[in-house]
Amino acid sequence: MTERHVTVRNRSGIHTRPAAVIVKTAARFKADFTIIKDDMEINGKSIIGVMTLAAEQGSTMILRFEGVDEEEAAEALVGLFERGFDE
Amino acid sequence: MTFKKSKETTKQSISVGFFVESNKTRLHLTSLTGEIGYNKELRDKNVHRPQLVLAGYVQLFRFDRVQIFGNTEMRYLEQCTPEYRENALRTIFQFDVPCVVVTNNNPVDEMFVRIATERGVPVLQTPFETTKCIYFLSDFLDDQFSPQSVVHGSFVDVYGVGLLLIGRSGIGKSEIALDLVERGHRLVADDVVMITRKGEGILMGSGTDLVKHFMEIRGLGLIDVRSMFGIRAIRFQKRVELVIELMEWRPDQEYTRTGLDDEGIAILDVPLTRVELPIFPGKNVTVICEVIALNYLLKHYGYDAAKEFTKRLEAVITEKSKHIGERAIDYFEHDFE
Repeated sequence: MTERHVTVRNRSGIHTRPAAVIVKTAARFKADFTIIKDDMEINGKSIIGVMTLAAEQGSTMILRFEGVDEEEAAEALVGLFERGFDE
Repeated sequence: MTFKKSKETTKQSISVGFFVESNKTRLHLTSLTGEIGYNKELRDKNVHRPQLVLAGYVQLFRFDRVQIFGNTEMRYLEQCTPEYRENALRTIFQFDVPCVVVTNNNPVDEMFVRIATERGVPVLQTPFETTKCIYFLSDFLDDQFSPQSVVHGSFVDVYGVGLLLIGRSGIGKSEIALDLVERGHRLVADDVVMITRKGEGILMGSGTDLVKHFMEIRGLGLIDVRSMFGIRAIRFQKRVELVIELMEWRPDQEYTRTGLDDEGIAILDVPLTRVELPIFPGKNVTVICEVIALNYLLKHYGYDAAKEFTKRLEAVITEKSKHIGERAIDYFEHDFE
């Protein structure tokens, strides 16, 4: 299991487009991907799930990966958060 | 098993403001002290009637609960002399009481409101009688403080049976849910199912406020089931009764062939029946889901097909003159169609 702490950097938070980018990226990997924010724990490969978090700018969350390619998946997803979802 | 135990959360506290707001319509709860004390925290799911506290007995006083002032408390205060009444009220409000609920719309005098305001305790009033009020509040608080869990799956009401579809991402849970909706069943939630344990052993599932009845269909995007299929296609909450786990068909794995051995699953420590459903292209999973729901209903009403068949078989085996292989024909033998 790999866990990373991330912060949402882009101004408009995780709205529909960033959510789509997150799930599309996560879908490339075999590893299970869970996002934990406050009391919520959702499947990071589900766009409805990611949008449920309604994460605003500055909110922090934990990304959890479990599976054969968890390291690569973590790199890709953390990079995405750091780049503000290329917005 | 692909189902992972998901995080269980229980609210530690709710604010009094939220408590008032949530019970405004149901209990017609109004505040006599404005918004004073709305930021106070409620941490206990039980309510308390002060009774003897007013007479000065404060041992065992659960001041941290919602305090219900019914007819007994209010009549008692009424018949006290003003000095005595002030003393009684000061006794109770010396504690950090979260809020007070006066039932039956009993009149609350100026002194009551003044002392409560001084101590920053909200005084709330309801036209409901005490027993009803306690019933409603306990139900509300029990719901607020019950353990919750978010499950990744699709939740549909099929013939009145709460069917939770789980399985790995992309296996087709949403598509099956959509197909079930098309056949007249009702969607409760897709993808993010909030499950709450009510009382002992009852799980209620619902969607989140934000998502409600939206769902994602791969290759299509987001759709709103409510506006597309109408009000008949949705419901807000449903008891979770059955779990269907979808999995890829694997020739090396054994699947139940008789349905005699039920395998269970536990969500929030509540045992539920689980059906492992292997899927492959061309298999009509929707119909199977309907049959699983109907079979569950039959069992619920006392008919277990697998057991019934076993009984029949045993009867034939023990019978002397065996009619093995006899056709199932009774009196239509001359029917040539």
